[in-house]
Amino acid sequence: MSALVQQPDKDRLEGVADAILVGRAVSGDTGAFETLIRRHGPLMRAYTARIVGSMADADDIVQDAFHTAWRRLPELRDPAAVRPWLMRIASRLAFTSLRRKPAEVELAHLESALPADMQPENVAVRNAQLKALSAALDTLPEDQRRCWLLREVGELSYGDIAQEMELPAATVRGKLARARASIYAQMEGWR
Amino acid sequence: MNDSEPRTLDCGKTVEELSDYLAAGRTPFDPRIETCPECLNALQGLTRVSQLFHSLIQQDVADLPAPRENWFQDIMTNIHREVRAGRSLPLPHPDNRVNLSLTEGAVLALIRTVGDTVPGMLIGTSHLEGNVEELGAPIDVSVAASILWNQPIPDAAHTLRALISNALTKHTALNITSINITIEDLHEDMANKDMEN
Repeated sequence: MSALVQQPDKDRLEGVADAILVGRAVSGDTGAFETLIRRHGPLMRAYTARIVGSMADADDIVQDAFHTAWRRLPELRDPAAVRPWLMRIASRLAFTSLRRKPAEVELAHLESALPADMQPENVAVRNAQLKALSAALDTLPEDQRRCWLLREVGELSYGDIAQEMELPAATVRGKLARARASIYAQMEGWR
Repeated sequence: MNDSEPRTLDCGKTVEELSDYLAAGRTPFDPRIETCPECLNALQGLTRVSQLFHSLIQQDVADLPAPRENWFQDIMTNIHREVRAGRSLPLPHPDNRVNLSLTEGAVLALIRTVGDTVPGMLIGTSHLEGNVEELGAPIDVSVAASILWNQPIPDAAHTLRALISNALTKHTALNITSINITIEDLHEDMANKDMEN
């Protein structure tokens, strides 16, 4: 049978919508899943690194996240929404890993995890602003930061965040508002 | 900064209230907010923080160091170990002591392979509906596909149906009662994009 079945040219899959790739992957096409990894992997790595504060840890977590995603892909109800779904899996694993290593939470500054030439100091455009925001983000209590990241990067709805964090939706709403207000206040000098 | 202390603007609105209003997409329209210079200023600030945050993540993505060697390959190796075989489809054999079967995963792969040969077409999800484990049971095939935006859809769908029908007749013993094709999406030709420009 395998002689009959060839992988399509990878380039052909590139312009295709997520929903189609998810459908193929659910039906067993690993090539389609590979395209999803290439498409969403970079954002997942950046997002996870923001949560755990270490690129090496983030890479382990994103690997696990894709492995979990492959197994659970048939459960995904809206294949077009694969990105927030992947982000949710990655963030869940990232926060689990943080709880396992509480000592490192305080050191969760991404700057220290990146090579020197990639530190924001050397990035010309809006570097100071971005750095201030990064610092403001780091001062948030963990649950607020998590709400913020799930909302802003994961693009999760209030309801989904509530489910993810096992909190009432009204509490999530409050935490998000406080996170926004707090970052807004700290960014006052940059507005 | 005190976490529980609400930040109140001079007009009496709190930043929390404005944040909620923004999160709701500024609907329903609140004239008291939309006509207050204080509120509008804060809304603009909150929006800018959100945009800045997206720049921050985009910057992170742009500056991402390459993952360690084998990072990608490790994921793919794990996934290949968990191939989706699905159900087992019996194949007839003149000697009833012999059990022949085909996996559902192999049949779906066959559908993708023949479907992808239709010009401009890419198969999405495909299903075999019915009791495939019983020889001769009526089976409905459903296939979703994406097609290159400039291809005539009825022709492509017709060709696809014929190819799937032939392939399943040739390689399986399924009693196909229908083949339902849904064109779910249109796509651009990324592979040949550079050549066109």
